[in-house]
Amino acid sequence: MTSIRALAGACVAAFASLCAFVAPAEAQSYPTRSITMIVPFAAGGPTDVVARIVTAHMAQTLGQSIIIENVVGAGGTTATTRAARAANDGYTLITGHMGTHAASVPLYPKLAYHPEKDFEPIALLAGTPILILARKDFPPKDLKEFVTYVKANAEKVNAAHAGVGSVSHVSCELLHSILDVKPVGVPFNGTGPAMNALVAGQVDYMCDQIVNAVPQINAGTIKAYAIATAERNPSLPNVPTTAEAGLPAFQAQAWNAMFAPKGTSPAIVASLNAAAVKALDDENVRKRLLELGSVIPGPAERTPEALAALVKAEIAKWSPVLKPAS
Amino acid sequence: MADTMGHSATATRNTSVALGFCLLAIAPQIFEFIWSIGTIFGWGAGRGPATVVISHATALLAGAPSALLAGDTKKSSDVLLALMYSYPLFAVAILTIFMTIKSAQDYIGGIVLMALALFALWASSDLQGMRGFSFGAGTAPRMFGGLLVALSAGIALTGLMTDGPALAHYSWRGPLFVMAAILFFALAIRPLGLVVSAFVSFLIAALGSHETRWLEAVIVGACLTLGCALLFPYVLGLPMPMFPRFLVQ
Amino acid sequence: MELFANLAHGFVVAFSPINLLMCLIGALVGTLVGVLPGIGTIATVAMLLPITFGLPPVGALIMLAGIYYGAQYGGSTTSILVNIPGEATSVVTAIDGHQMAKQGRAGPALAIAAIGSFFAGCVATVLIAVLGAPLTKLALAFGPAEYFSLMVLGLIFAVVLAKGSVLKAIAMIVLGLLMSMVGSDIETGASRMAFNIPELADGLGFATVAMGVFGFAEIIRNLDAGAEMNRDLVQQKITGLMPTRKDLIDSTPPILRGTVLGSILGILPGGGAVIASFAAYTLEKKLAKDPKRFGRGAIEGVAAPESANNAAAQTSFIPLLTLGIPPNAVMALMVGAMTIHGIVPGPQVMQKQPDLVWGMIASMWIGNLMLIIINLPLVGIWVRLLRVPYRLMFPSIVIFCAIGIYSVNNAPVDVILAGVFGLVGYWLIKHDFEPAPLLLGMVLGPLMEENLRRALLISRGDWSVFLTRPLSAVLLAIAAFLLVLTVLPVLRAKRDEVFTESEN
Repeated sequence: MTSIRALAGACVAAFASLCAFVAPAEAQSYPTRSITMIVPFAAGGPTDVVARIVTAHMAQTLGQSIIIENVVGAGGTTATTRAARAANDGYTLITGHMGTHAASVPLYPKLAYHPEKDFEPIALLAGTPILILARKDFPPKDLKEFVTYVKANAEKVNAAHAGVGSVSHVSCELLHSILDVKPVGVPFNGTGPAMNALVAGQVDYMCDQIVNAVPQINAGTIKAYAIATAERNPSLPNVPTTAEAGLPAFQAQAWNAMFAPKGTSPAIVASLNAAAVKALDDENVRKRLLELGSVIPGPAERTPEALAALVKAEIAKWSPVLKPAS
Repeated sequence: MADTMGHSATATRNTSVALGFCLLAIAPQIFEFIWSIGTIFGWGAGRGPATVVISHATALLAGAPSALLAGDTKKSSDVLLALMYSYPLFAVAILTIFMTIKSAQDYIGGIVLMALALFALWASSDLQGMRGFSFGAGTAPRMFGGLLVALSAGIALTGLMTDGPALAHYSWRGPLFVMAAILFFALAIRPLGLVVSAFVSFLIAALGSHETRWLEAVIVGACLTLGCALLFPYVLGLPMPMFPRFLVQ
Repeated sequence: MELFANLAHGFVVAFSPINLLMCLIGALVGTLVGVLPGIGTIATVAMLLPITFGLPPVGALIMLAGIYYGAQYGGSTTSILVNIPGEATSVVTAIDGHQMAKQGRAGPALAIAAIGSFFAGCVATVLIAVLGAPLTKLALAFGPAEYFSLMVLGLIFAVVLAKGSVLKAIAMIVLGLLMSMVGSDIETGASRMAFNIPELADGLGFATVAMGVFGFAEIIRNLDAGAEMNRDLVQQKITGLMPTRKDLIDSTPPILRGTVLGSILGILPGGGAVIASFAAYTLEKKLAKDPKRFGRGAIEGVAAPESANNAAAQTSFIPLLTLGIPPNAVMALMVGAMTIHGIVPGPQVMQKQPDLVWGMIASMWIGNLMLIIINLPLVGIWVRLLRVPYRLMFPSIVIFCAIGIYSVNNAPVDVILAGVFGLVGYWLIKHDFEPAPLLLGMVLGPLMEENLRRALLISRGDWSVFLTRPLSAVLLAIAAFLLVLTVLPVLRAKRDEVFTESEN
């Protein structure tokens, strides 16, 4: 096995030296060729869909195609590492999310990149609200009862999540730290199996992104206690916010944002930001994002500076929650 | 790593089998040493060759014996490797000298498998074990590692107790050139692209057989490369570099 | 009948020219993907997903579904011809299928695989239409404890299908289990036995190991001095292309049994389809009058698992269509395709998207018909391929495998790893260890460990759940019964050997 590591090392070194030679400055008439957008998750996942919707419009604005490259592995950190090490010429970008660019910092102590130090923020694309969901015959009727029930039965209840580092995992850790309980977390291999277990009643509750949950809630196979955003969501008008239901401290969103490797020229960042902002104002893009239950960032939240601040705030928010867990 | 010892050993010549096992017992250390040479040239990260040699030597000669005597002290990973992997295999090697091997195929197969299992046990020794009622990350690997040690010991025992085939013959030409072709492809695909790496790998692989006729191989290799260059990126839409980087830019 | 109205509606949708074309493209690409070693369904569907962005949703899904079950047809081809299973589900087919090819009977093997797949596909499609909704309960009845027991049963199947020493087969399974544990731990995220190699962080890929221990190892072995003789013999021995009357009669019951087993196990999310093929093989071996023929070119050993994996490939759509929950990675990608089109599947998808659901079901039947029309004439071409001199064949296989493995993750390290596993496989052959149980252990290992840990987490460490839950207890009982059935004769034989020796 060690020989493989040697070869891997040699490979990386060879590529790195090759890359170092090829770094011409071509900010003049950016972009002159197609742009690669790395998506750190599988095609068809929430992050991928958001990236595809937005980049399709951005490609029209920029006049060059944007090729999506799905690189999966290690909770998205494999792809993010690759993006951090890519040439900072504006032709390799990444659509990261709350996991890759915030929660990963406390979760993976040996992380090969730092979201703040290795990336130039471009723009926040969308936020996906998180819901507190439970199996349909879980005794508590609303969020207040849920809180008392979980506190009283912390030894008995089971929380499902879609694997370490997933949105459902980290958001549930936040919920548990607010409630100051440590129920058993049952890991599943992705959102699908976790949802299956919740529908089948094998686990009691989970926190998950809105996209997959809406049809199940509407069909009555699971129930939702609250949505962890400031406002109710149009796709689930009957589900109260956590503030309305009595747990204002629990606020969480799985946001998606676009980043470039550190050192990308400000002019390129500005033109990418402008293209992204234009996409977010497009009627069709908005309609499709809203169909997914996404929250579209307002004008003030779309600047690179706002994104930098968000990343900083999110790292600060998740660090104390996730440190003891890992 | 399993092949390193097979060649010289015949079914009954126990000393060479035992020597092979000794080599196997320090194979991970040797591999780390070879790998560490790369750090001199700045390839990869890790310990330098001198550190590797000194720390493994002290672990094998001094650290592990003293840890055995002292008992409950915190052991370094090198000492653990010596204790969990190398020592048991040395013991097996010594025992081998006094055994009559009835089936070299089973006996050596079992011992090498045992070496793999011991190595896995060492590799998972830093992982957390049971935490109350729930499994830790290391519980299952250790469970199955232990099970494999037992099973492979069983296989080795059958090799001692019942008659069976001797060690099969290994050839070197096929494995060497096929591996070389694979290695070349892996290293060349990104910098040189599909066309060059597929064609050259085809020819390297063709070296693996003495039946190869060169004109024919070159023609078929070229056709195959063309076919792959059309099939994979265009028909199946799999993105891969086609031509050498320096030509594209 | 509402069902017939629905089906009629489905056929109207599926028979529209664009959907027929999509179905054909799907079937063709699927066959190609299945035939090419290393290229997996997941990778291909993932790559083609963006293309479906511009297609109408029904057509897009018909195409993706076609790729999925088409790959099951094609997967058997390389298993039979060159002993390289393209998919986890065709590992078992390689055992007897390749032996048949070595005896010059590649044609009948390929044809029976296609016929069995067609029959199974048709039956399973009807099953989806008629019993889809009630069968959903099965998917929900399987909790972690049941899955664990099912995986134990699956591993016992792997022992049964071994033709040599039982002890060695079990050792191979355990080695496979150990190999499956490389990578991140699902519960804690800790990196296990990955030695800080980033490419190992998510574990060893199936394609990497399968190409290594089957593909590359087989090539290296065939290059051994003295192996040329056997190869030339194979080429001279090629007899008829199509199965004989006897072959068909022999294969009919296995196809029927394989279809039933596959249909049931396919509904279970996760390893259903893989277990189905192993279970079907095991069943045939146990029912056979002369189990010794298995592993030496028994046509039942091709007919049963191929029917089972294709039936399972169809019924695995049930959880997706009735619950809106994707049961495996390919289906998850299909959900992605739907999401891109603004359809988020859920329990009501049958009512809300009748075009999509019934169109897809109808298209599966059409797709199966297309696949058999594509595949039967191909048999002749495949068999002719065996006549290509090995000196040209083997470098080609090396290149195809290398490209295939590289394409899975675009990772050169994967190709090197497959090479290393090729050497390991060569060594395993030399020491008479079988690679099939190893691969099964590797595929089922994570499912077994995860579900064991999940079950124990939920039961708070109480091991008795595996026996107190009826379904799980039944599965374990079958596993124990099978194990006893397999091990007893071996023990008896060993004892006889010892006795005869002492008498001498």
